[in-house]
Amino acid sequence: MTELQEARDIRTEGLHVATRHPVPKGEPILELRALQKKYGAVEALKPASLTFLSGEIHAIVGENGAGKSTLIKLLTGVIKRTSGEVFWCGKPVQLGTPQEAIERGINAVHQEVVLCAHLTVAANMFLGDEINRNGLMRKRAMTDAAQSVLDDLGFNLPAGAVLGSLTIGQQQLVATARAAMRGTQFLIFDEPTAYLTRQESAQLFRLIRRLQAEGVTIVYISHRMEEVFELADRVSVLRDGTHVGTRRIGETNEAELIALMINRTIEQIYHKEHFPPGEVIVETRNLSGPGFQDVSLTVRAGEIVGLYGLIGAGRSEFALGLYGRHRPTSGEVYWQGRKVEIASERIAMDLGIALAPESRRDQGLCLNLPIGLNINLPVFNRLSRGLTINGQQERENADRQIRDLKIKTPSRRVLVSAMSGGNQQKIVIGKWLSHGAKLFIFDEPTVGVDVGTKAEIYRLFARLLEKGAGIVLISSYLPEVYELADRLHVFRGGRLVASHDYRAASHEEVLTQAIGV
Amino acid sequence: MSAETVESGASAAPRKGVSILFGLTLLGLLLFLWLLLGLATNSFWTPNNISNLLRQGAMTAILAVGQTFVIITAGIDLSVGAVVGFTSVIVAWLLAAGVPLWIAIILTLAFGVLIGAFHAFGIVRMGLPPFIITLATLTSLRGIGLLITNGSTISITNEAFTNFSRADFLGVPSLFWMVIVVAIPAYVFLHLSRFGRYLFAVGSNSEAARLSGVNVHRTIYLAYILSSTCAAFVGLLLASRIGIGNATQAEGWELQAIASSVIGGTSLFGAVGSVHGPLLGAFILATINNGANLLNVNSFWQRIITGALIIVIVYFDQLRRRSAR
Repeated sequence: MTELQEARDIRTEGLHVATRHPVPKGEPILELRALQKKYGAVEALKPASLTFLSGEIHAIVGENGAGKSTLIKLLTGVIKRTSGEVFWCGKPVQLGTPQEAIERGINAVHQEVVLCAHLTVAANMFLGDEINRNGLMRKRAMTDAAQSVLDDLGFNLPAGAVLGSLTIGQQQLVATARAAMRGTQFLIFDEPTAYLTRQESAQLFRLIRRLQAEGVTIVYISHRMEEVFELADRVSVLRDGTHVGTRRIGETNEAELIALMINRTIEQIYHKEHFPPGEVIVETRNLSGPGFQDVSLTVRAGEIVGLYGLIGAGRSEFALGLYGRHRPTSGEVYWQGRKVEIASERIAMDLGIALAPESRRDQGLCLNLPIGLNINLPVFNRLSRGLTINGQQERENADRQIRDLKIKTPSRRVLVSAMSGGNQQKIVIGKWLSHGAKLFIFDEPTVGVDVGTKAEIYRLFARLLEKGAGIVLISSYLPEVYELADRLHVFRGGRLVASHDYRAASHEEVLTQAIGV
Repeated sequence: MSAETVESGASAAPRKGVSILFGLTLLGLLLFLWLLLGLATNSFWTPNNISNLLRQGAMTAILAVGQTFVIITAGIDLSVGAVVGFTSVIVAWLLAAGVPLWIAIILTLAFGVLIGAFHAFGIVRMGLPPFIITLATLTSLRGIGLLITNGSTISITNEAFTNFSRADFLGVPSLFWMVIVVAIPAYVFLHLSRFGRYLFAVGSNSEAARLSGVNVHRTIYLAYILSSTCAAFVGLLLASRIGIGNATQAEGWELQAIASSVIGGTSLFGAVGSVHGPLLGAFILATINNGANLLNVNSFWQRIITGALIIVIVYFDQLRRRSAR
């Protein structure tokens, strides 16, 4: 047996290690008894008792702040519990450190990829567990072993590529492969599909089912109900740090779960009001720029124009071009009938365009600064008299947005990084409400946002339309644009490939146009 | 309306609270050092020594304030020491050439503006990291200064200029008054004006700032110009104090300035900093040096002690921030 062969065998063995069942399928593998976590006086997780059965896919749903992340951190040893007991394969365990969790075979795949973007896929898969010989790394052996794992999983990914050159979705698949390779018994997915395209999601689901078939227990956390019903065997609901129930998937439905999650029924999450379309706010004619070509569309007052497509289809690039972030290379923009050159963000803002960008973390917010400063950032020139800022107006403006948008914070001085995804999104929106605009561009406004906040955001859309604004809604989540957009444009490969009126085309038709089969 | 004021009064605490508390503990540390040195030596609390201490700390303090603007944008300005030496040469040269004093001062400050603008140009237009562009000027400015003086020094004969640094006003050294002259506008700029907010926003997330309509490039220009202009101002003060222009003066002052800023609670990752912090930091460093001299501590040990104190103070600052989370 060659060394290379040997190395590969050692590594790929990890994939199948889970077949050595620690407990028979269907028996409890991890049991929580009155598990509790307190931060000071705040009870992030009230005493919860939950049992995970070996080999099941167990979904956990709940709004932001319901205690899902606390639960994951407790299970992966990132934080220590305040009280309660955890039993792994019937024996009490501490789970006091991440190392302990990993040694027992508990791994997590996070929503935001926590790997090294500058290293190769193979290096990331072996990170902290490299193949060495005489103290030197066996780079070739690792690349080959990683490649065989990726091929085996059916991912079409090169092990030698630098991780940062892949899409976020592909990076997520690498993170999953990494966990799968390490002899995982118990794998937690924290909203894995938030940034994935449909194809990537499908690949991920196949992998999850395969891991399950090999005996791995899966915990799947998601905001997307249809995924829960597609994948899970059982589902547990958390609300305000309390475990409010566990159901077999066949014995429940979406309405019941939502009722459990938010303690009230939502007649319709997609709150849609139709307004008579008003004057044309903006019109683009054959607009081209970096990442988009030949886009012609109009937005009228009182209407939502939806841009649907896969990630990288050119929708966000078009939005950034319209907003002056990237200068269009050809084509024209007419603002309320007048031809304009939008050469900078400031010009766009002064015309009356607001952009809530795709990534809250990278483009939307100054995370380590206070909420108030973030909300006021676009309007400081208005809040200033001469050289100095009017402190009272500054405070009032921030507090008004916090109150109007029901941002859950004790104070405007709290740092944005301490807020949940839903509240962060409200802060982004608050920035633009305080600035005011005629055209609002919302790019993926509900990624990582819970059902309750989603409904609030959709109602806010109606309020904006009522006041005569126009909205461009960009989303990779079809039901959202489908249910809300008065006119739906489909993007593919940087071009606008199809347009539909409200609910005029079927889901399948729109999807096919977006994927381009 | 009343609910709002109550809220802002009552729960406005976490961030500003920490900043003020930290400022107070730094002030406490400074006073404690002064008390200790007063007890340990006879010469500390003499008018002469206090004046001396205030003069020593003044120049680092001004550099540190300018440096802090840059660090808040998540940058660094390694050139300030070299700018001090270089501008001392410029002012001496201008005075020797018979240029009227006030014009010489304005021209010297204009050099500061130019150098800062050059740094920002390198960062914004050429895409160079701040560390690199300011490291490059650190080296070359000393070279240009040496070329101008042919490696020697230019003495300054203008008595009005050289007397300034020795003068007192209301019993306080004029050099210390210069700290106040810089600090008050700096405070207004950083904490009360929108440009100050923009510095923090750019340091925290420049893309988010940009998409919010902040002119990121202009903000970076502003930060580096302010830093270099503060350094040029210190160059004037130094020239006045030592009565010569010499390009090799102020060696290592950039590190003093960065240390003062960091002791004062500025984060090298950007978006955290104040004006009062670096001022206190600079005078803490000056006190340590002054005290060590009075106590006849070996100057080699002085360096070691200074280094150790930087670690201790910044470590405690980190601890405080973490527990405040």
